[in-house]
Amino acid sequence: MSTDNQTSFTDIPEAVVSVAATDRSVSMVVDSELYPLQAVYGASYIFIDRCYVFIDRPEPGKYRVTLTAKESVEEAEALRQLVGEYANELLSCAWRHQVTQDNRVAIETVTVQAIAGAMGEPSLDDLADFDFTDEALDDPLGIAQSWEDKHGRKSPAEKEQAKAKVPEGEAAEATEAASTEEASA
Amino acid sequence: MTELRFPREVYVGEAVDEAVKTWSRFAEFELSETDDHWVVTVTPKHEAAARQIIGEFGNFVLGLTIDRGGVS
Repeated sequence: MSTDNQTSFTDIPEAVVSVAATDRSVSMVVDSELYPLQAVYGASYIFIDRCYVFIDRPEPGKYRVTLTAKESVEEAEALRQLVGEYANELLSCAWRHQVTQDNRVAIETVTVQAIAGAMGEPSLDDLADFDFTDEALDDPLGIAQSWEDKHGRKSPAEKEQAKAKVPEGEAAEATEAASTEEASA
Repeated sequence: MTELRFPREVYVGEAVDEAVKTWSRFAEFELSETDDHWVVTVTPKHEAAARQIIGEFGNFVLGLTIDRGGVS
């Protein structure tokens, strides 16, 4: 963009958007740090029904967007309005792009849940193929055990089994300790 | 004859190719490329509609580029 035909649109900040206007077209140089390419795409797409849009890269860090009105434009005010609308749309697209980036994880999570919900209840075939084994549940600390299983009173058969498992030497000591207790009593 | 230079950082090459195929009924196209640009030389078949053909062709390339998700 040459500075010779710098616009008379003094109300548009040139630091962000500089404008050059000819009889039928305007071109804006946009800072790519403020406005990502996706935002430029979005804003341009909205204008392709009214204008011929061309995006250029005049220098690193800048995009130049040229809007040429499809219909003849008589007044400079119409071009100014075009630039203003484009700048607003660009800002809107940039902000939406930022919001999308910030909430990408949440959006993906909700979308996956919605799709999973839309798939409906599993069919009988799905249930038949489903793996119901508890292998996935690894419980080394016994947290999933009930209190009765862990600390409840044992049945006589279990007591017998427990006694049978005690080694003979320990069993003799236990018997001796029991007889001592009885004598002292 | 008009030369359009589409920056590679903005326009997708496949979009340019597809647009050329679609618009070949309305204009003659010559394709070339540089390190930074896809260069398309357009010669409209109808001189009266030259401005419209070139402008709509540019819009078409941009639209296809956006439809493809832009330059990644």
